[in-house]
Amino acid sequence: MFDPKEFVDDAIKKLREEIKGKALIACSGGVDSTVAAVLAYKAIGEKLYALHVNTGLLRKNESEQVRNLFQRLGIHLDYIDASERFFEKLKGIKDPEEKRKIIGELFIRIFEEFAEEKDIEYLIQGTIAPDWIESGDQLRDTIKTHHNVGGLPKDIKLKVVEPLRDLYKDEVRKVARFLDIPISEKQPFPGPGLAVRVIGEVTKEKIEIVREACAIVEEEIEKASKDGKMPLPWQYFAVLLPVRTVGVHGDKRAYGYTIAVRAIDSVDAMTGSFSRIPHDVLDKIATRISNEIGDKVTRVVYDITNKPPATIEWE
Amino acid sequence: MSKVKIFVIDNGGQWTHREWRVLKYLGVQTHIFPNTTPFEELVEKGADGLVLSGGAPRIGLSEQLGRCGEYLEKADFPILGICAGHQFIARFFGGKVEPAVVPEFGRIELIIDKEHEIFEGIPKRSTAWASHNDEVTIVPKDFDVLAHSEGCEVEAMAHRNKPIIGLQFHPEVEHTEFGTEIFKNFIKICEENR
Repeated sequence: MFDPKEFVDDAIKKLREEIKGKALIACSGGVDSTVAAVLAYKAIGEKLYALHVNTGLLRKNESEQVRNLFQRLGIHLDYIDASERFFEKLKGIKDPEEKRKIIGELFIRIFEEFAEEKDIEYLIQGTIAPDWIESGDQLRDTIKTHHNVGGLPKDIKLKVVEPLRDLYKDEVRKVARFLDIPISEKQPFPGPGLAVRVIGEVTKEKIEIVREACAIVEEEIEKASKDGKMPLPWQYFAVLLPVRTVGVHGDKRAYGYTIAVRAIDSVDAMTGSFSRIPHDVLDKIATRISNEIGDKVTRVVYDITNKPPATIEWE
Repeated sequence: MSKVKIFVIDNGGQWTHREWRVLKYLGVQTHIFPNTTPFEELVEKGADGLVLSGGAPRIGLSEQLGRCGEYLEKADFPILGICAGHQFIARFFGGKVEPAVVPEFGRIELIIDKEHEIFEGIPKRSTAWASHNDEVTIVPKDFDVLAHSEGCEVEAMAHRNKPIIGLQFHPEVEHTEFGTEIFKNFIKICEENR
């Protein structure tokens, strides 16, 4: 079985051997990068620079939560608001792979700028097994480009260190629990953020809509799970489809987007089955999305595909 | 007795690394090798058994899968082929692989038709996860079909005289109900063969 203590001791030892100078770690606030940050901090202490980049593509209040988390962990966190840069680069881009690559590259450029300023040579990433498996290589087909692997530009100036490369999420969570990291059970969130939950071109308006919809899905599912109506799924969120349909809102015609609700049960993200959300919970989600987001959304649908054949996120 | 060594031969599947993880969790000494590794090197490293992983899209249909043919020819230790690995075993021993009329992605019901050590302790019907476009349509003459599903006639097959087994579905993923038991049975087959 997997022994988190053995893993932690070994990882710290290897990080000390590999990193000969200052290292940067970019922190999204998710389990993987937070575990990597805590391990790196234990290994190299103040030579570690933790950075949080606000892409404008994060969930509701997420940036603030990340900063609070690192305060609790006692690790200094630098903050860069790069949302305008991300929206600018994504203008007119519809293809999901292109979006992922643009986001991956912009992340690296921002890291490089920061690293140059502070004379940092290494970049630590919270890459885990499904990230590099699905990003593809000489043998493997690319299912989707994970920003931290396939999204890396070829001319990257930083030396990449990946202490979690052979782990899956369930193992990372075991390490997080062992290290007393408070967000050990947080649901996964993709590196490209809400940009891959808006199908097609990303605009500020669509990001706002999907952000609200994601917050409602999270609230209602977490509540239902707390009330014992359903187990908490592995991942649960909303996706904005650029398909517009007709609705009737207060005797008035409405013509808005479609929101798809996705909830999936998995252990390691490599296979998954759609969650059996009770109908009354789905009803509440659909009603709240329609009422609270208004005429920009006229329809809510529920995704009932497993992985495979589908993937968890839509893009 | 020391632990058995079972190596995973990487044909480029999405779940190659999962096979490594399951073996590791079961306390086996394991390592992933590219399918271009010479057979002698695997012997030198002390292989007691091999898992031929699934592959990149469609390679089970017609491609060579690196040196997998050499392993099947020379090995006297057990070999378990999964998905594309299974399809390659069928072709190597004179069977045939063709595009499936209806491919299987995700949940299937695995129905065991013939007793075999690889399925010891596993009920006749169980849930398994599959992901394939192609399938074995003609089973090689020294092989028995061990299991089928509604959409695929050859979900599992085994050589009558050699410890060579092929599985079309994926025992290494969490969603396959008795996947770990299948790996335990394979480990037992490798231990007995030493």
